[in-house]
Amino acid sequence: MKQRTSIGHYILILVLLVIFFVPILWIFLTSIKTSGEIYAWPPVFIPAAPTLNNYATVLFDSNLGLYILNSLVICTISTILVVLLASLAGYGISRVAFKGAGVFFIFFLSMSMFPQLSIAPSIFLWFSRLGLLNRFTGLIIAYLGLFLPLAIWILTTYMKTIPEDIEDSARIDGCSVFRIIFQILFPLAIPGVIAASLIMFIFSWNEFFLSLIILSKDTLRTATVGIALYPGEYAFPWELISTATFLAIIPLALLLFFFQQRIISGLTAGALKS
Amino acid sequence: MNRSVKEYRTGLLLVLPAFILVFFILFLPTLNTFRLSFSHFKFPRGVQGSNGLQNYIYILKDREFLQSFLNTINFAAVSVLFEVLFGIFLAVIINKAFIGRGLVRTVILFPWVLPTALNAIVWRWLFNTDFGFINSMLRTLHIISTNINWLGKIPLAMNSMISVAIWKTSSFIALMVLTGLQTIPMQVYEAAEIDGASRQQQFLKITVPLIIPSILLALLFRSMDALRSFELPFSLTQGGPAGSTQTLSLFGYRQFFQYLKFDLGAVVSVVQFLFILVLGILYIRLLRRDES
Repeated sequence: MKQRTSIGHYILILVLLVIFFVPILWIFLTSIKTSGEIYAWPPVFIPAAPTLNNYATVLFDSNLGLYILNSLVICTISTILVVLLASLAGYGISRVAFKGAGVFFIFFLSMSMFPQLSIAPSIFLWFSRLGLLNRFTGLIIAYLGLFLPLAIWILTTYMKTIPEDIEDSARIDGCSVFRIIFQILFPLAIPGVIAASLIMFIFSWNEFFLSLIILSKDTLRTATVGIALYPGEYAFPWELISTATFLAIIPLALLLFFFQQRIISGLTAGALKS
Repeated sequence: MNRSVKEYRTGLLLVLPAFILVFFILFLPTLNTFRLSFSHFKFPRGVQGSNGLQNYIYILKDREFLQSFLNTINFAAVSVLFEVLFGIFLAVIINKAFIGRGLVRTVILFPWVLPTALNAIVWRWLFNTDFGFINSMLRTLHIISTNINWLGKIPLAMNSMISVAIWKTSSFIALMVLTGLQTIPMQVYEAAEIDGASRQQQFLKITVPLIIPSILLALLFRSMDALRSFELPFSLTQGGPAGSTQTLSLFGYRQFFQYLKFDLGAVVSVVQFLFILVLGILYIRLLRRDES
């Protein structure tokens, strides 16, 4: 659309930026205030003497830092495994013309809509029987099942866009399926693989329900659950909660800042399928 | 070996690991939840025989269940409606060329990337009655003279919760609409301009019909999401005041993990599941029609 951009348009954009960004800015400002400034009237918007004390407390004197570390470990491992298994399945569905490929695709697609509430009770009962409660392995296994459908969808959609001729010649030369996937198709599918990995990392970082029921022991909690449960019944140390929240969103902010285009393309492939 | 038999085995072998995991983590547990909803369950001993439709009758008569059910519908309908309207508005604004467009797109997508549970914490602090940003701002600007209890009043708490959902998700809707907008060739607008169509006419006659498929998909996708909303009420309001923001997911969670009534909780799960199933079938149909 050929249109000139007016001053009004820029003012509108400024208003939108304020709406979208001020909550996060407020959390950051709270994190560098002293508790005296937080509970002051008239309100202190910009701290007079910014302090990093809250960061030191969160990282060294509370479990909040540990929660973030737990999330990093769990999300990294489950992202790698999900993308690996989804690549195999995606290749199977998009390339190998076996009967039932379409059925599998629909199976995964419909499974991706199953709500956590309907799987939670059985997961809890079975995992407790299997000794998988309060273990990282338990949550990682649950995440594999939970996120594989979406990852398969993203990767299958992407793999279908790669021309088949290249592997056909490799297949005629007698390459094994695994060599075709990892040496020929994988390098070509890198953009799709990166997009899927980013989305899987973000989704597992943000997951709440299963993490809440599988890892209930305080020192094992993930970032979202640990921070959300931190405001106790009587005490609300908002300066610490804000600091931990700000720390927990930094990894996501970095991913979004550097890989915006890839995240968007993967997401729209996942939800819309252009 | 026959080539097609070999292909069949290779394909199956590749899909199998993912299939097994999804089968045991998503499919079988859901099936078991259906079974639980018809059984008599005692924690921790397990299923103690069948209970017929007793659990369903009990839950459907429960006042708190009905309230949660209506809350969920209310929350989903209002928030999805405003998200879509606001999302279209955002998409149209961002679709124009302006300085700093990439950065603006990153910033507005930010709330969507953040965990809902932490968004809820952020807003719980912003909505804080005595020291929150919103009341501080409104009082400093002399718009209000006494603090407002955003999360502690009916129906204000639900409206506050809905605004958080809109804040989080409209940028995602905008993104889906944008992909629809960008597939419209420029020539269509140029031709319309030559024919003397006004901006409004162009928007209503060209843009809207062409982005309707993306909007419908976004609508369904988001409705399914909103119907299972859990961590937003969990960490923003704990379902209060007086259960006015309790959703089906939160009610079900409490039956399972607070009262350990797995049979009653299962009924809540089944109700929610069937709801989402209907939307899901529509969604898949729409996707497949889009494809062909």
